[in-house]
Amino acid sequence: MERREVAAWVAVVLIVIGLPGAVLGYQRWLRLAAAERRVIDIRAYAPERGGFAPDAIRVAVNEPLTLRFAAMDVTHGVALGPGLGIDLGHVDPGKVKEISLSFDRPGTYTYYCNTWCGPDHWRMRGTIQVIDPANPDLLPTAQPDPIIEALIAEGVDIDATPDAGRASALVIERPLSAQRGATLLSNMTIPPEVRDPAWRRSHPPTHTLDLLRRANGQVAQADLLDVLASLWTADTAPATLAAAESLYNKNCAACHGQTGGGDGPAAGTTAEKPVAFADAAYLFERRSDVLYAKIRRGGMGTDMPNFGTLFTPEETWALVEYLWTLPASAPP
Amino acid sequence: MLNEGRLDLLARVPLLKRTLKARAFQPALMLLTLAVFTLAILSGLAGTPVGSRNFGIIFVWIVWWALLIVVLVPFLGRFWCAVCPIPAPGEWLQRRAIVRRGPARPWTRGLRWPRRLKNMWLQNFGFLGVAVFSTIILTRPGVSALLLLGFLLAGVVLSALYKNRVFCRYVCPVGGFIGLYSLMAPVELRVADPDVCADHKTKDCITGNAAGYGCPWMVYPGNLMRNVYCGLCFECLKTCPRNNIVLNLRPFGSDLLVAKERRLDEAYKAFIMLGCALLYSAVLLGPWGWLKGWANMESLPHWGLYALGFAAFNLALLPGLFWLMLWIARRVTRARRPMRRLFVDYAYALIPLGLAAWIAFSFGFVLVNGSYALSVLSDPFGWGWDLFGTAEAAWTPLGTALLPMLQVGILTGGLLFALNTAYKIARQHHAHHRPAFLATLPVSGFALAVTLGFLRLYLG
Repeated sequence: MERREVAAWVAVVLIVIGLPGAVLGYQRWLRLAAAERRVIDIRAYAPERGGFAPDAIRVAVNEPLTLRFAAMDVTHGVALGPGLGIDLGHVDPGKVKEISLSFDRPGTYTYYCNTWCGPDHWRMRGTIQVIDPANPDLLPTAQPDPIIEALIAEGVDIDATPDAGRASALVIERPLSAQRGATLLSNMTIPPEVRDPAWRRSHPPTHTLDLLRRANGQVAQADLLDVLASLWTADTAPATLAAAESLYNKNCAACHGQTGGGDGPAAGTTAEKPVAFADAAYLFERRSDVLYAKIRRGGMGTDMPNFGTLFTPEETWALVEYLWTLPASAPP
Repeated sequence: MLNEGRLDLLARVPLLKRTLKARAFQPALMLLTLAVFTLAILSGLAGTPVGSRNFGIIFVWIVWWALLIVVLVPFLGRFWCAVCPIPAPGEWLQRRAIVRRGPARPWTRGLRWPRRLKNMWLQNFGFLGVAVFSTIILTRPGVSALLLLGFLLAGVVLSALYKNRVFCRYVCPVGGFIGLYSLMAPVELRVADPDVCADHKTKDCITGNAAGYGCPWMVYPGNLMRNVYCGLCFECLKTCPRNNIVLNLRPFGSDLLVAKERRLDEAYKAFIMLGCALLYSAVLLGPWGWLKGWANMESLPHWGLYALGFAAFNLALLPGLFWLMLWIARRVTRARRPMRRLFVDYAYALIPLGLAAWIAFSFGFVLVNGSYALSVLSDPFGWGWDLFGTAEAAWTPLGTALLPMLQVGILTGGLLFALNTAYKIARQHHAHHRPAFLATLPVSGFALAVTLGFLRLYLG
């Protein structure tokens, strides 16, 4: 057989078998084997098509890792928590984003989508189990949250709607303004317990309204409400609030609406209508610690997911503080 | 007069003749396209399912398609068929050779292709079959890859069962319209002197000889009057011992006026191509979201309705309307020519308009989406590669301001070419200008209405 004929057949074999073999071999074996860090490819599908694949990873403490997230259908957002502060931002369809990291102690972490990607967006999560190679079967269990434990001990039903069955007694005469309330504070008599942030976390503003009325005589209720709005939003630093706003926009706004109107693009898909935080008549009857517990544990039968596996307690409190700003953002 | 007003490129450019006669020329190009084809199938099966980031979708349905419909078919006719990778494995297995002249006895059952299928009907229905799934095929890499793989396997199976390129000649849905529109191309392979062929006893171009194979497209060059079924493989150039093959440069659309070989299956192909261009434009560019939803198979009953409508429009409505206009004109002018003859002959006048419509339609999505090719070139599988540093190239629609003008210009050119062709066909029927002009009116009205339909879709 002449030489160029042999060369042609060799070329055919190289093209039909060698080319796919080389491409797949590199992508699925050589690339991973040659990497200095352990590389884990995670494909991100909309939850209706399976969510993250794989959705569970087991790694060792201090193991150098590269996580590569590929969006396989629609735009997703990828973040890791709790307490890792990792947000890869949008991953557009057909694109890949990666993060190199290692974990310095055993535990369970979550990678999750934080860009609305479909009706079951909130289900799109995966877990990273970080184990100690010396005790691979020993995984630290999640500690009970003391706030939630305290509420249970107090007999508070986190899922109950306070004063269910009756309309809110609170009459909102004008849009609330925490800024206006701050200017009024110096002329008001504020009971000492109300000045205590820890006390405020376990009492709804409406219960505090009577205390303020008794202490301040003829002051109009609208002004008292502004003062309450100021008190309930006063304890968080602007930078923390800004971070909480970002968390809210990425994780809550799809259902609850960007301005807290309960009218996000996914509001129509949930089992129960999402709560409107911007409605002061509703929110001012809530306790901060119950809001905190609900965010961390999720709502039973409402499609409100748990965020306790995504956010630290500090991030959750910041988020609660941000919620209080939503009904009280009117100009002075 | 054969070859009158033609320029023989082989005589003018000896290097071209040497290149085309070289046995390695065609396989070298086929190996190149086979590599791209393999990559397209691989990316479809193993790469990202996101069409705009997948090599298979972008390089087959945008880059290759643009190359085919805007450059290759209008200017080189069936040249793509000469380098197409789909029949290559089947042909090489059949010949047991790639470059060299293989053994005299090919590796095939050598069955006879059914006489009833020796036409373009299978390709017509095949194209319609692919077309009703087109929104799925063009956007889903996996489906697209399976289709391409299916074509390749069909080529191999048919080569094992039948001699020559039966798949290309009678089955390939793409080959059918390339053949039809190659009538427009300004190049043609012909014989210099038919008498030389007639006197030549061994007919090496049919039987083959040590220099090459008998025509794989089952065409006798001595009778070759049109481009439709010549695959430009140049085997006849290699085998002809009388040096009687020429490759002519000629005026565009010369074959449209070859009266004696016009056929109903080809006429229908002209309607199907025109109808599909119109429907694709309506589905993909029109303002009807529900129609796009139906075509996308969002619900099976709606897609069923869409498929039925698609077939009815192409096979009955459009040709039926054309038939009706010709029938009315025939009654008014009291012409005696059979309706079937009129229908078939004048359908060829729609070929320039159909080609122009496809070019205009293709510019619409090629200019808008062509920039995806840059990022896909660097990351063909959507795996996060960056081979040439262009993976992050942004999607940049090109020439959007000029696009409507370009489309209007192309469609107007196609319409004028169609009207001119219709008149020339009419002059083949009528010796005098006036009856020819009157006979042209219904065809002109039809072509004008279709053109206005396209302009309505492109200009909004």
